[in-house]
Amino acid sequence: MKNTARILSIYASDTSGVCSMLYELGGLVVVHDASGCNSTYSTHDEPRWYGQDSMIYISALTETDMIFGGDGKLIGDTLEAIRTLSPRFAVLCGSPMPMLTGTDFDAVAAEVEAKAGIPVLPLHTNGMRSYLSGASEALTALLGRFCSPETEAGRSGRIPVNILGATPLDFSRSEQIGSIRSILTSAGFEIVSVMAMGSNLEEIAGAGRARVNLVISSSGLAAAEYLRRKFGTPWVAGVPYGEKTSQALTRKLKESAESGENFPFCSDRIELDEGQSVLIVGESVNAGSLAKAAREDLGIPARAGIPDALQPVLAAPHDRILTDEDDAALAFAESSGVAADPLFAPVCPESIPFYRLPHEAFSGRCFRERIPNLMGGGLTRRLFESC
Amino acid sequence: MLKIAVYGKGGIGKSTVTAHLSAAFARLGKKVIQIGCDPKADSTINLLNGETPVPVMNYLREHDRDPEHLEEISRVGFGGVLCIETGGPTPGLGCAGRGIVTTFSLLEDLKLFETRKPDVVLYDVLGDVVCGGFAAPIRENYASQILIVTSGEKMALYAAGNIHSAVKNFADRAYAKVRGIVFNRRNVENEEAKVRSFAESAGLPVIADIPRSNEIIRWEDQGKTVVEGDPDSDISRRFLELARSLLQDSGEEA
Repeated sequence: MKNTARILSIYASDTSGVCSMLYELGGLVVVHDASGCNSTYSTHDEPRWYGQDSMIYISALTETDMIFGGDGKLIGDTLEAIRTLSPRFAVLCGSPMPMLTGTDFDAVAAEVEAKAGIPVLPLHTNGMRSYLSGASEALTALLGRFCSPETEAGRSGRIPVNILGATPLDFSRSEQIGSIRSILTSAGFEIVSVMAMGSNLEEIAGAGRARVNLVISSSGLAAAEYLRRKFGTPWVAGVPYGEKTSQALTRKLKESAESGENFPFCSDRIELDEGQSVLIVGESVNAGSLAKAAREDLGIPARAGIPDALQPVLAAPHDRILTDEDDAALAFAESSGVAADPLFAPVCPESIPFYRLPHEAFSGRCFRERIPNLMGGGLTRRLFESC
Repeated sequence: MLKIAVYGKGGIGKSTVTAHLSAAFARLGKKVIQIGCDPKADSTINLLNGETPVPVMNYLREHDRDPEHLEEISRVGFGGVLCIETGGPTPGLGCAGRGIVTTFSLLEDLKLFETRKPDVVLYDVLGDVVCGGFAAPIRENYASQILIVTSGEKMALYAAGNIHSAVKNFADRAYAKVRGIVFNRRNVENEEAKVRSFAESAGLPVIADIPRSNEIIRWEDQGKTVVEGDPDSDISRRFLELARSLLQDSGEEA
């Protein structure tokens, strides 16, 4: 059955992506949704929830609000929250019910901004799309409003770089981002900002200083394209898995900084024969980079199984698009092994080796403690020893 | 680009006025799109010789997927007017307002304005602003002007007042503003005085005065507007004048 999940879980929604991307930046995230939904967006799949404050506000939408529109209450409550909490900015985003009644978030945000005197950004989530699209829209909107025209590169002698598309939904353990920072720093780069884990709004506003951008998940690609249009900065899409592959990635970053050309490192892979490869399931830049490292560092033929095809440039021709569980079951049965979140195991035939690769965006906190940090040299092999 | 939404009480002649205006803009050499936003899906019937395009909602119901090409949900009518109908759910079921929002989102995905580059877009909207969906045509980036069609009948004027109030509720937003009243005569007693009095109290100009005419009915029986069938008639002249004045106001060349 198309678009039906009888056995499998589903990926986090666009609203989760917004909350995750903006979590650390001092903004107020208002989700126009029923009371109680904060847990869905910001607790079950948010490792920072218990250790770091963030302003996530649910409008507590009721049936009466749906009948009467509820814009006035949303505007009043948001203004009250802004007065009480003094955020740097606010965003307004939707959920399935406002989508059905056609709430005009553009107009509501403009009204709130005019009265509150801080930037208020409308985001067009509906709770039905992937977390990647929500995170992507949030980051691009943020840059559109806050990016400084400053492009002075500094005098450190290092190549300034931004890291785009970092959220715990794809990089649940902060060590993963630490490892990417460390690999880039060792290779002669200066990290301008990580969007958006471990960087503040000022660092992100200074993104124009970078000479190249590293896109580490597809949620960073639209922002990279924005920075390309605004500053001419090229992007490279890839995650540094495997020793040789990480080195190749940092070389490509340097080449791009020089040439000004974009490069989809994660999808630049050798064509494979059907049935001879391990299927690595996950977000496209991550899964593609891991497939590349498996092949080039470990000699294990692998392809990526990606849950959506939002960004075709990030997928190789032999990758599999897994839009529903029937696609997944078929693709698993045709692979020599499957590396995927443990919640995918029920649709993997017993005869096919299954490697556990927990993914916060798919199983939330269920397997968080067992999410491996596979960055850099020597670590990629750990994945294939977990069968 | 001139973008106009036409509102008014059910049965007051919105589709007649909209189609005649589309035809008039086309006669003036303009590239026109007319979007019918009524579940009845008959807004463009008199631009298409009595036929209609496949309404967007019908397409979605039948195919259970979005159309990939504009041609699947549009037809070209008199004077090159591109005709689109939202259609709606089975009467008594679902949510017609949501149908309008969905249609607009779909037309955005199909890059309607970017690819067709129209000079004029007309939205013919169901009777009253009954819910958020029926206000969608007056949101920012859609219509910038509203025409309210009314006769001198009490309920038509009442509906016109409601529509005007609904638009005033959005005064803080960058929504369309009411440009004026199209007086569609029904020949009721003291009709002109009643309409003029309403217009004055609402602070709105009467920007067109369309007499009751069997000519409209005769041409509509043939699936045409009078502007198409008899461009030199008094009715056609009035619509051409209205089209010219709307173009001039918006800085477009008539």
